[in-house]
Amino acid sequence: MEAASIAHPVAHGDDHHGPPPANSSSRAEPQLLGMLLFIISEVMVFGAFFTAYFFIRVAQGDAWPAPGTTLPVEVAGVNTAILVSSSMTMHWAQTSIKNGNRFGLKAGMLTTFLLGCTFLFIQINEYANIGFAPQDGAQQTVFYSLTGLHGAHVFIGLLLLLFVTIRSFRGHYSPEEHRGVEVPGIYWHFVDIMWIVVYTTVYIV
Amino acid sequence: MAARLRAPGFYRAGWMMAFGVAFATGLTWVVRMSTGHSTFKHFIDGEAILTVSLIAVPLLFLVGIGGFDYWFYWAAGRKTRAEDHSSHGARSWKDYFRINTDHKVIGVQYTVSSFFFLLVGGLIAMLMRAELAAPGAQFVDANTYNGLFSVHASLLIFLFVIPVFAGLGNFVIPLMIGAPDMAFPRLNALSFWLLPVAGALMLGSFFAPGGAFADGWTAYAPLSTNAPVGQTFFALGVQFAGASSIMTALNFLVTIITMRAPGMSFFRMPLLVWANFATSLLVVIATPFIAASQFFVLLDRALGFNFFNAAKGGDVLMYQHVFWFYSHPAVYIMMLPGFGIISEVLAVKARKPIFGYRMMAFSLLAIVALGFTVWAHHMFTSGMASWIRIPMAVTTAIIAVPTGIKIFSWLATLWRGVLHLDTAMLFALGFLTTFTLGGISGVMLAMIPFDIHVSATYFIVAHIHYVLFGGSLMTIFAGVYYWFPKMTGRMYDERLGKWHFWTTFVLFNLTFGPMHILGLQGMPRRVEDYASKFADLNLFISIASFALGLSTLIFLYNMVTSWRGGPIAASNPWRGMTLEWQVSSPPPIFNFDKLPTVVGGPYEYGVPGAVHGTFAPTPTPATVGAGSGVARAPSE
Repeated sequence: MEAASIAHPVAHGDDHHGPPPANSSSRAEPQLLGMLLFIISEVMVFGAFFTAYFFIRVAQGDAWPAPGTTLPVEVAGVNTAILVSSSMTMHWAQTSIKNGNRFGLKAGMLTTFLLGCTFLFIQINEYANIGFAPQDGAQQTVFYSLTGLHGAHVFIGLLLLLFVTIRSFRGHYSPEEHRGVEVPGIYWHFVDIMWIVVYTTVYIV
Repeated sequence: MAARLRAPGFYRAGWMMAFGVAFATGLTWVVRMSTGHSTFKHFIDGEAILTVSLIAVPLLFLVGIGGFDYWFYWAAGRKTRAEDHSSHGARSWKDYFRINTDHKVIGVQYTVSSFFFLLVGGLIAMLMRAELAAPGAQFVDANTYNGLFSVHASLLIFLFVIPVFAGLGNFVIPLMIGAPDMAFPRLNALSFWLLPVAGALMLGSFFAPGGAFADGWTAYAPLSTNAPVGQTFFALGVQFAGASSIMTALNFLVTIITMRAPGMSFFRMPLLVWANFATSLLVVIATPFIAASQFFVLLDRALGFNFFNAAKGGDVLMYQHVFWFYSHPAVYIMMLPGFGIISEVLAVKARKPIFGYRMMAFSLLAIVALGFTVWAHHMFTSGMASWIRIPMAVTTAIIAVPTGIKIFSWLATLWRGVLHLDTAMLFALGFLTTFTLGGISGVMLAMIPFDIHVSATYFIVAHIHYVLFGGSLMTIFAGVYYWFPKMTGRMYDERLGKWHFWTTFVLFNLTFGPMHILGLQGMPRRVEDYASKFADLNLFISIASFALGLSTLIFLYNMVTSWRGGPIAASNPWRGMTLEWQVSSPPPIFNFDKLPTVVGGPYEYGVPGAVHGTFAPTPTPATVGAGSGVARAPSE
């Protein structure tokens, strides 16, 4: 992700016949564009899960959460704050490497990663203590599948962050070449924004 | 041997897949042990092991053949490596069975494996027609028959029509826009290898206990949530096929946006590129919905979730909404690239500029936008709120307008053209005929009362085959004949090609035309038995369909023998102007030794002195006139 396969043609010896460098016909970078398109896809996955939410919660019009169950709105609110701050530390890491501040990059990535882990830990803890299971009914199914789908995205995001953190400690990235931080960063911001949507619709509304 | 087991390839894939089964057994064992299954024999559950295996084994197969090698290397924190194109080109047939990042190799891999699934799906259709040749049970029981039509539809939709367009696009698009490769070559390789995996899952369902998935390619809940385990094969096969299409679509979009040759503005792109651009938008936006619908089914089946369990507040209608929100755009995913192929073939073979180039491009985008507003016309009889039917009927009628713009533009392109009636052109003209018929029955189905009358009858079967066989497959044949010289470097046998067209065209109409009548008379689809009053027409259809199946053998023979020993193809046998014809056949290993510069539109046939692309460094009017290495329109 960090190095473009086309933007940096490998220097070839005279005997080696390589492809001519591709013309760059857009100001958009391929990696960023690819990530944005992937995020559109991801938004649609969430869209489908929200369709289930719409039919089961909104269209049926039953009480939410189901009678006899409560949602830990405050705990999840704290968790939201944790995830939002992880987005800020991610931004710190990104601006740091743009300015050549390696300490900022490493500290920012590590903090982001740890905050993300905390979020996931609290989420799993919430599942363990919430007192209902997805097998109990369709509303519970919707709760678990929306938060679980988001949790799975946090997990994937954390894997990416882990790779980036390892790479930044091993001395990769520079002010000129930091797409490897930027592209996973966009994904992490997306995961964060998606959580705000999920939190608002599932816990608050 | 040890090196072979470590190197990417089928050996490594083999032991990794075996490990996948062991992993699935272990995982389900541990989970069941820790969640209250106390007795020893309950630790093992066949369906649980199978479900986890169906996820783990395909993924480990992909790891084994090396689809993820680079990303593992990257994840380990080592220095990034730009794709060095060292694996480009195929030196022997064995190279087609390896991970390869060359878009031309991937295009051939895609196309050939899709045609394999066409043949399998076609053979399954023959079995169905054999069963339907007479009323009553002939060869198979009802459940097997249901499995046959379900696998037939799933294979041909998810593993033939959608990927074969991706295959042709993979080969042609980078050449057409003047790019050395796709934007993400490694992703491209991975997206191909997901396909055989999906195909193996769908075909493998025949061996599952309880038989293949038997509720159609639509897999409506709660049928699918209560079906035998074969259904899991479908739910997961769709995930792999869907992931493959999303990866390819993303790759197409980024390639088309960022890698066009100098001067290749959006409105100088060939319409095939436009068509794939529009299709890729649809894929990226819509495909996640079918992935989600099958996640729901899978969660209901495997973990006891309640998306579709009405007793616990689930909503079965929601399945149909989510499913068709993908699957209606999917019919355009299966058609728009074909529109692109037809635009190429008609302009070249009629020796005329395409009529209404910009409207052709805009109508594609209009179809993309409108395609998302019509999904519930598949649900007129589903019991949803009846008022939704009216806006859906209106939008369905409206979406025929951009399609009509395309049909009339093609007709205007043919008007007073110098028609070269070779095989590709014949298929294009055949497409215009049969697709228009299918389009008209589509508009008929938009009318709510009529739709209610023929819903779930053979009229629907006739309609879908007129648009998918008479529409998509005809364009695919046109495209395969058109680019065969470019892809293989050989010419096909024109005489056999024309035989193939006429047998296909006539027998197709004999097979599927009478189904309209059967449907209007009320013969239900998806049933292996029928009332004896339908016997004569059904026997006729069965005989015609066997002959139609045989006509495919002409195509196969032609393709195989021509590829092995056909006459060597010239670089530009059809005198096309688009860039792929300006390089040798097959194209050089890196497509272009020097990137072309685009100076004009792609279809200026018959316009004196018109140039689309040139390899001269800075095209001035003088060099254009002299035309060294210039794609010039032959004046006629």
